[in-house]
Amino acid sequence: MRRTLLALAAAIGLLFATTPAANAYEPVNIVHTERVQVGPYGMTVGFSTWPLRAMQSLDFTFIPDDGIAGKSGTLAFLNPETGRLGRPQPLAKHPRKLEVWGLDIRALQTQGSWTFRFEIDGPAGKGAGELRDLAVLEQPGPPMAVSWSISLIPLIVLAVLIAVAWRRTRLRLLVAR
Amino acid sequence: MDLTAGGARAVSVSRSERTGLVPAGTVLAGSVISLVGLTWDIQWHGDVGPDTFFTMPHLFLYSGSAISGLASLVVVLMTTAARRAGRPVDARVGGRAINVFGRIFAAPAGYLVTGTGAAMFLLYGLWDQWWHGLYGFDAVIDSPPHIGLLLSITLSIIGTVMVFAAAREHRWGTVGVVGSLGVLIAFSTVTVLGLQQIDVDGLDVVSVGIALLSVLLVSAGAGFWGRPGGAVRVAAALAVIQAITWWFSPWAAEAYASAVGLPMRDYIDGVPAMPSMMPMALLPIAAVLEAVYLLSRRGWPAGRVSVLAGVIGGLLVGASMPIQNAIVYGSDRMPWAVVFATGAAGAVVGLLGGFAGWRFGGMLRLLAPAKGENAHA
Repeated sequence: MRRTLLALAAAIGLLFATTPAANAYEPVNIVHTERVQVGPYGMTVGFSTWPLRAMQSLDFTFIPDDGIAGKSGTLAFLNPETGRLGRPQPLAKHPRKLEVWGLDIRALQTQGSWTFRFEIDGPAGKGAGELRDLAVLEQPGPPMAVSWSISLIPLIVLAVLIAVAWRRTRLRLLVAR
Repeated sequence: MDLTAGGARAVSVSRSERTGLVPAGTVLAGSVISLVGLTWDIQWHGDVGPDTFFTMPHLFLYSGSAISGLASLVVVLMTTAARRAGRPVDARVGGRAINVFGRIFAAPAGYLVTGTGAAMFLLYGLWDQWWHGLYGFDAVIDSPPHIGLLLSITLSIIGTVMVFAAAREHRWGTVGVVGSLGVLIAFSTVTVLGLQQIDVDGLDVVSVGIALLSVLLVSAGAGFWGRPGGAVRVAAALAVIQAITWWFSPWAAEAYASAVGLPMRDYIDGVPAMPSMMPMALLPIAAVLEAVYLLSRRGWPAGRVSVLAGVIGGLLVGASMPIQNAIVYGSDRMPWAVVFATGAAGAVVGLLGGFAGWRFGGMLRLLAPAKGENAHA
């Protein structure tokens, strides 16, 4: 047992030792841009993959022409499936590209034509603007029903286990009572 | 009243009180390490963000399952070797041995479940890698592979509960059941996020799931304990886990970000994400359940009393969760319609939780060998 524990400790130690080498976070790689006018502010919206597909996550960047210094703002999504405008969220610095606003590894869940609604407050006053008709293509991969069925296998194993144990203990629990 | 099992060929073996403590402690440690990894990972994604496979929280998540799985494998191999050599097998170590693949392996029931969960975790881990390759590293907790991973760990923790239940003649066995049931409730609060896929207007479906599982597991603790105090003890175990992770999760996310030189996100709300999903009112609700259980002293059958207690517990947990969420996240108004609807749905599922939970408690008691029957070959 002691030897097993030592081996385990060594394996975990090795993982710790090699982690920093693998710990480099991917840079934000913009492959496509769109322009949007938010009141007095021109802004470039960047995408790390193009075209967009439902559920496929990517990095978004939002870069006002003269930078984000001295500005604040919000972003709300208009989901084509529900037709509802989501709650505005503050425009925050991208965690891996701190000089611009952005969303890290974010997916748009449904296919269709999305709208991003921006509001920016800055030296030139407040302004609002929309990036319209952002096409999001069909979700890649197998249908979600198939994926969810696979994910529920442990639950089925558990249900079988409980059913067997329930039947086998029934008489003994009755006797004990 | 003796609820223990009989019937197997018995030979007496003299083992010390600590027999089985090391592997049981190891699988519990694995479960706790997974829990630490999960709360840390969720907080990391909310407060800091960037993700790769090689993060410390992922290391905890994966090594927790690996530790539980390897410990289970060792016990199964030792049990198999003992049976082949004709040595007696102590059923207090993980429960009665079950034949696997014919009679190739003899696996104590508890370790079989823990090991199966750990093995499934590995398979779902591979699927998760494929998933992230296709869909990217969007940090959604309720993706199908993530729910598969969480359900696999759940299976491992259920095995851990069984392992300790088999050793209930020892104090560490009963304490271990209570502790691992607490870990299981804590873990379940994330697993039920899979229910977000079911969209019902005016109903907090995730909180209904939390009501079901917390009532089920608290009732199982009460049924296992067999005398007053089991439900409160399980709820107290959850309260301890909640208190520790409430402090730990934001601290660990910030400390790790600082260690790897990453800034915190703008506009973080500072709420400990996973601990805030655990039902804060469970301890007083468990005390109410204990009061209801006293009805069985008036001649009511204990199983039926547990159904009534489950309805009350489900109602209270279901109603308290939307209130808890509104308070924790500083909502402007209390969603009373959702509170009432979720409480009502909680009462319905609580009925099931009270019924099945008490029975599960009895089944856990049967995992331990009867007195004077410590081993069977």
